[in-house]
This record gives sequence, structure tokens and C-alpha cells, in this order.
Amino acid sequence: MKGLIQGLGVTLKTMVSKKVTYAYPDEPLKMPDRFRGIQHFEPDKCIVCNQCARICPTGCITLTGKPNPDPEKKGKVIDTYDINFEICILCDLCTEVCPTEAIVMTNNFELAAYSRDELFKDRDWLVNNNTNVRQDNNNIGAPQRGGAK
Amino acid sequence: MTKWVEQPLSWENVLFFAAMAVVFLLIVLLYVVYAILFERKVLGWMQWRHGPNRLGPWGMFQTVADVLKLLFKEDTIPRKADRALFIIAPALCYAPSFAVLAVIPYTRELYFADLNVAVVYYAALSAISTIAIVLGGWASNNKYSLLGGMRSGAQMISYEVPLVLSIVGTVMMTGSMNLRKIVEAQGDWFWEWNFLPQIIGFGVFIVAAVSELNRSPFDLPEAESELVAGYHTEYSGFRFAFFMLAEYVYMFAIAGLASVLFLGGWHPPAPFLDFIPGIVWMILKMAFVIFFLFWLRATMPRVRIDQLMGFAWKVLLPLAILNVFLTAVGLELFIKG
Amino acid sequence: MIRTEELLLNVGPQHPSTHGVLRIVVKLDGEVIKEATPVIGYLHRGTEKLAESLNYTQIIPYTDRMDYLSAMTNNYVLCYAVEKMMGIEVPERAQFLRLIVMELQRIASHLVWWGTYLLDLGALSPFLFAFKDREKIVDLFNELCGARLTYNYMRVGGVKWDAPPGWIDKVRDFIPYMEKQLKDYDRLVTGNEIFLNRVKGIGKYDAETAIAWGLSGVNLRCTGVKWDLRKDEPYCIYDRFEFDVPVGKNGDCYDRYLLRLEEIRQSLRILKQAVEQFPASGETMGKVPRVIRPPEGETYVRIEAPRGELGCHIVSKGKAEPYRLKFRRPSFNNLQILPKLLVGETMSNLIAILGGVDIVLGEVDC
Repeated sequence: MKGLIQGLGVTLKTMVSKKVTYAYPDEPLKMPDRFRGIQHFEPDKCIVCNQCARICPTGCITLTGKPNPDPEKKGKVIDTYDINFEICILCDLCTEVCPTEAIVMTNNFELAAYSRDELFKDRDWLVNNNTNVRQDNNNIGAPQRGGAK
Repeated sequence: MTKWVEQPLSWENVLFFAAMAVVFLLIVLLYVVYAILFERKVLGWMQWRHGPNRLGPWGMFQTVADVLKLLFKEDTIPRKADRALFIIAPALCYAPSFAVLAVIPYTRELYFADLNVAVVYYAALSAISTIAIVLGGWASNNKYSLLGGMRSGAQMISYEVPLVLSIVGTVMMTGSMNLRKIVEAQGDWFWEWNFLPQIIGFGVFIVAAVSELNRSPFDLPEAESELVAGYHTEYSGFRFAFFMLAEYVYMFAIAGLASVLFLGGWHPPAPFLDFIPGIVWMILKMAFVIFFLFWLRATMPRVRIDQLMGFAWKVLLPLAILNVFLTAVGLELFIKG
Repeated sequence: MIRTEELLLNVGPQHPSTHGVLRIVVKLDGEVIKEATPVIGYLHRGTEKLAESLNYTQIIPYTDRMDYLSAMTNNYVLCYAVEKMMGIEVPERAQFLRLIVMELQRIASHLVWWGTYLLDLGALSPFLFAFKDREKIVDLFNELCGARLTYNYMRVGGVKWDAPPGWIDKVRDFIPYMEKQLKDYDRLVTGNEIFLNRVKGIGKYDAETAIAWGLSGVNLRCTGVKWDLRKDEPYCIYDRFEFDVPVGKNGDCYDRYLLRLEEIRQSLRILKQAVEQFPASGETMGKVPRVIRPPEGETYVRIEAPRGELGCHIVSKGKAEPYRLKFRRPSFNNLQILPKLLVGETMSNLIAILGGVDIVLGEVDC
């Protein structure tokens, strides 16, 4: 009997306590800076080293480069850059190995779509996804920070 | 109402009664809508959350939306189900629940029937719903429903015995089964209401009532985590709404009965508070009983079926009989002697 | 002449109480179970096979998804195995971070278990209570590594992120908060007579059965066997901290319940000491070669995950990818005792026993 009464007491006390519900769709959820949301891409910084495509565990990044249009400069420039969000697991390894922080994560997480086609994001979409970009990217996998080749 | 009830029957009376019944039905339906909402709200508050609050201020239109959804659903009847029984079961479950409300006196003047055997009338009619539940389980042609229906039938029949026996004490103290007389016999101060002298009876009544209503902690027939949904697995749309409606109207009836039998009906807790009309006190007491039912649901885990039956026959029934015995002894020694 | 038949019932794979997609084929005689066979594989995703074509850093996100309720311990077992093969030393601060994170994860996992177990038994509120407290832990993890469930936090040689400023203080504040909540849990559930009637004496087995069937974790300790890998084969820096290993007596569901709550208390105790001894500065990654190529050979390591003994067996042929990677998952082994335990029980006890074993299908199926 005593246990039952104590339990009833706990629920009664909870009834008059402050509620913990987030008002989510009405108020946006503020995520901490390190939150791994949808990526943001800056084509000017990309040196087409292919590390992100190689490290991706699910193989969702496909990219092509083209020779630098400026005949003075060497190296490649990024031409297309696609991420297939059906299989991207937002694991953050691509940002970890990028030497120039061209691919970074943002704090946006709302990616739901009505059709699977919309989940195949191309370079322009990723460039335009530039709100809430993460400040601290910690690319420990990049060569200058001691990471893998 | 008194003068209408006491007049000889004439067409005028019949029309008046019919109109009052319809009005009361609408009030009860309104009550059901908001009881469902408040159950969800109270459950939410006890779980650190708000409960429904998106549809209308405070979620007022939530149940309306739910009922509309149920009405628009497709009416499926399983192919091998027994059609006639399948269709009758929900209606048969609901009709007695509403019929029982006629005998409960809400205030000194507001009552629908003044039966001298009101207690027996209540017990008899609520048993018809048991048949309806077993019918529903059988007619669905589904193993789970059958198991659920059988369990529910066993549970409800077992708990009716202590339920009625616990009321016998109050009847003995009052000397009549007429619910109005039982309320009038209870005094004006709250310690003179029947729940104190009849504390064992009150305890047995509350436990047996929770079980009769198939509510937590005795809600095995609807034990979702064990048997999908019990006897109303195959019912969808409006038929399911009928079963739910019957459950909530029975909650109203039990709350009314508890208030009338044990909590003093329309009497205020102290005589100096009688400027507040009796209907308000009645509503407050019924609201308290219904809140208690929600509170139990939020807190308690479910009892197992064999423990449930054991509890009814080995604990509640002897307690109820003990209560009757003690009441008889007490009456003999203190009142008549 | 009355003829009775056995009823063949499928509990699952879609069922509110089998924790994931588990199917138990049950032969019932009335309400008594005559035979029960678990059928698994509905969540098999081929992690171990996929691992044969991925290098070790790439496998870490996959390990998160095995026992998704305690992802940090899964991360750790893989990193530990590779570090052991390569002889990499992990710096002090990284060890502390790993330990703090694993103990917080243990608390979170046990909270989920508590909430869902009571939900199976019919109590609606403890689930919300547990998740409210777990939300605090998950928010801590969110600040630390950017994700709430699949952390991808540990790397071979250390951890990816250092603790942000103020994080350790938040962990320190969480400890007394959780201790207070545990008192509420006891008041709400542990003394509740209805609950006690449902779990006492259910699903009993003795120590020999437990050892013979390879049970581990709380399922083993509830029979009285004092075996906890954090004490018996210390890994990480567990040997520096003082904590008790709670052991049960009867081997029934109630003992398992009490043990898990007690484990939360012991984890809080470890956390308190770890937060006090946390080094003020240090590296978060040790000296790791550019390409992680363990030498040829094999190794097996095991740690104490919240559900039992989690082991990782790596066979390496000197390449950057493992030749064969096998995880010894505790839920997979713990599940095997179910057919034996369930014979003679009723359906409601099936739910209580299955909940008490604490399985996660992501781990059973891998």
C-alpha cells in the first residue's frame, strides 16, 4: 500500500512542476556549435583532393574537377559536387579530412522531403546552404594537422 | 424534476422527459469530449509535458478532431465475422451505460427516475455491457480479440460481486436502496458522509470500480503491449468510438455513484457553504473521482491476469463481506441498541 | 469429446514490446507457453561484412549503429582493439574523456531500459521521466561531439573533440541532479506493490545456467557471480577509480531491475571521481601513423558494455582494412537463454522476462 501511495505522490508532484516540452516547430531548436547538420560547401576553397569522397563510409560524395580555367594557376577547380543524402549519415568524416575546410557542416537538420529525388543535393544547393555554419571544424584528418594521406 | 416525475404519465410528461433525456445526452456527450481531452492533458502534466495543445486553445478541439477522424474512417467488417453480433456489440455496450445515468440524483430536484431499487438497477444494467464485450470479442473472428474478450468478461464478472457487496453497507446504514434517500441520509458535515464510517466499503468500491471500467491498473483487456488491442482490435471508426464512449460514460456513472453513495452527493462539506448550489458540489465530487481515475492510470503498472482474479476473489470479496458484517454489528450495537 | 490444440502465436516483429524487430514464435496451450523460438535477423545490415572493405576510421560510424543506445562503448571497443594491435598509447586527457563519456552512456542506456521496461509492464509515466533525464545526457553529448545518438566520437589513438569550455562543470552538475531523480524513481516504481508482484520470482535461473549459456553483464551478476570486466580485466583507466559491482542473489527479474538502478548509482560515483581528477590540459589524440595499418595478426578485446560483455575480434593481414572483423555482441548471447526461460510461463511473463534481459536489436542483428 505504501509504495502505491508514494508513487501517486510522485506523479502529483510532477503535475504541478514546470514542463519540459520544447515548442519545436513554432520555435526553432538551437543546436550547439559542434552539431553535425547538413553540409555546406565552398567551391573556392576546394582543391579537388578527393579525400572527402575517399573517406566517406557510405560513398555518398561524388565530385568531378576540371583544370583551372586561369592558365596561370596550377591544380584543379571543382566542377560538380554531389552528396546523396539518402545515404549520407552525417558522420562528419568528410569535414575531418578536408585540408582547406571547403566542406563544413552546418547546424541545420531539417532535410525531410516528399520525394527521394530531392535528397540528391548538388553543388549549388550545398553552396547556398550557408546559414548556421559550424565554426569549429576540427579537421584532424587533414594532412597539415597530422592526419592520413 | 420532482413534480414532473410524481405526476401521472401523460403525453406532456412523455415529451418533457424525452426532451430532457436528449438534453442530458448532449451534456453527457460534451462531458465525454472534454473528459478525453482532460485525460490526455492530466496524463501529460503528470509526465512533464503539456498534453494536446495544438488544436484550439489548450487543445480544446482535439477530441473533436479525433471524433471526426473516427467518423470518416472506413467501416470494415472482417469477412468471416458474425455480422449481426459484430454490429450489435458496440451499441449494446453503450446503451446500458447511458440508461444507468437515469437513476443518479444530481441535486435535490434534478433527477430522472426515483427508483426504490436504484442500486440493483445499476448493477443489473452494467452487467449487460459485459455481454457486449464478450460478444465483440467473439464476433471479430480473431484470436487476440477472443482472448481479450474472454479475459475482459472474466474480469468484469468477478469484480461485480465485490462492487455490489461494498454498497450493501451503505444500504444497510440508510435502510433503503433509493439513491436519493441515501444522499439525504448523509449529514451536512463531510465527516458524516458515508466514506468514513464505511471506509472499507469505500476502498473496495473504488478498486472494484476501477476494474469494472477496465482502466489501469486493471486494463488487461486493452493491454496494448501484450495482446495488440484486445476485444476491440477489429473495430475501427465509429464502432470503436462507441466502445470508447461507453467507457467514458461509465466513468461518469461510477463517479456519480461514488459521489452519491460515499461522498455525500449534493451536500456541501460544511453547512455554512450551502450558498453554493448543490449541483456545483456534485460536479466537483464527480470531477475529483474522475481525476483520481486519471491519476491512477498515470502512475500504476498493469496487474497480471491471474493476480487480478486472485485479488478479486481472495482479497476484495472477503473484505466486502467483512464490511457488511461489521456494519451489521455496528448498527446493532450503536444505533439500535 | 473436447479437443484442444496448441495455438501458434507470433509475437512480433511488429509489436510494441519487443525492443526492436524481434519475432518470437510461441506455441501456447491456453495461456501457458510450451515452446518459444526467437527469430532474429530483421535488422541485419551486414556491418561485419561491410567492415572488410572499409578502413578503421570509416568503420567507427558503423559501430555507432550496432547498439545504438550505447554507441560510445561500441566506438571504444573498436578503437581499443586497434590500439592494442598497434601498441598505440592514448594520452591521459583522452582516456579521461573516454571514461566520462562511457559512464554517461551507461547511465543513458540504463535509463532507456528502465523507461521501456515499465512501459511494457503498463506504467505510462516512468518512460517520460527516464527520457527527460536522458535528454540531459544526450544534450551533453550533443555539445561534445555534435550528435545525439550516433556519436562517431572516438578515434584510434584518442578522441576527436576536446571538451568544450564549461562542459566538465555541466557533467559535475548533472551528478547530484541524477541522484535526486533516482530517489524519485524509487518512490514511483521500486516500492510499488503491483510492480513487485509482476517481477519478483519471474524468470529465475541460477549461476551455472548463466555461465553455461554465456550470459554477461547484469544477467550474469543477478545470479550472484561477481564478474565485471571493469574490475576483472580493467581497460581504459578504470583501475584508478573506486566503485562497487552490485551483485544479486535470486536471479529473477526483480534482481536485474535493482542491479541496473544500482549500476547507475555506481556510474555516478565513478563520474564524480573522474570529474575531480580530470587533467586540466592535455592532448586528445596520441601518436598515430598517417595510415592506420595494424600488423598482421589477430586480437580479441572485451569491455563491459551496459548490456554485457562486448568483444571485438580483428584479424588483420597488414592492410588498412581488416581481413575479418567480428563483434561479440552481448544482446545476441543473452537472447539465447529465452527459449529455456520461457517454457511454462504465461504471456504476460514473457513480456516481463524479455524486458528484463535488456536487448537491443541493432546489436542482436548487427
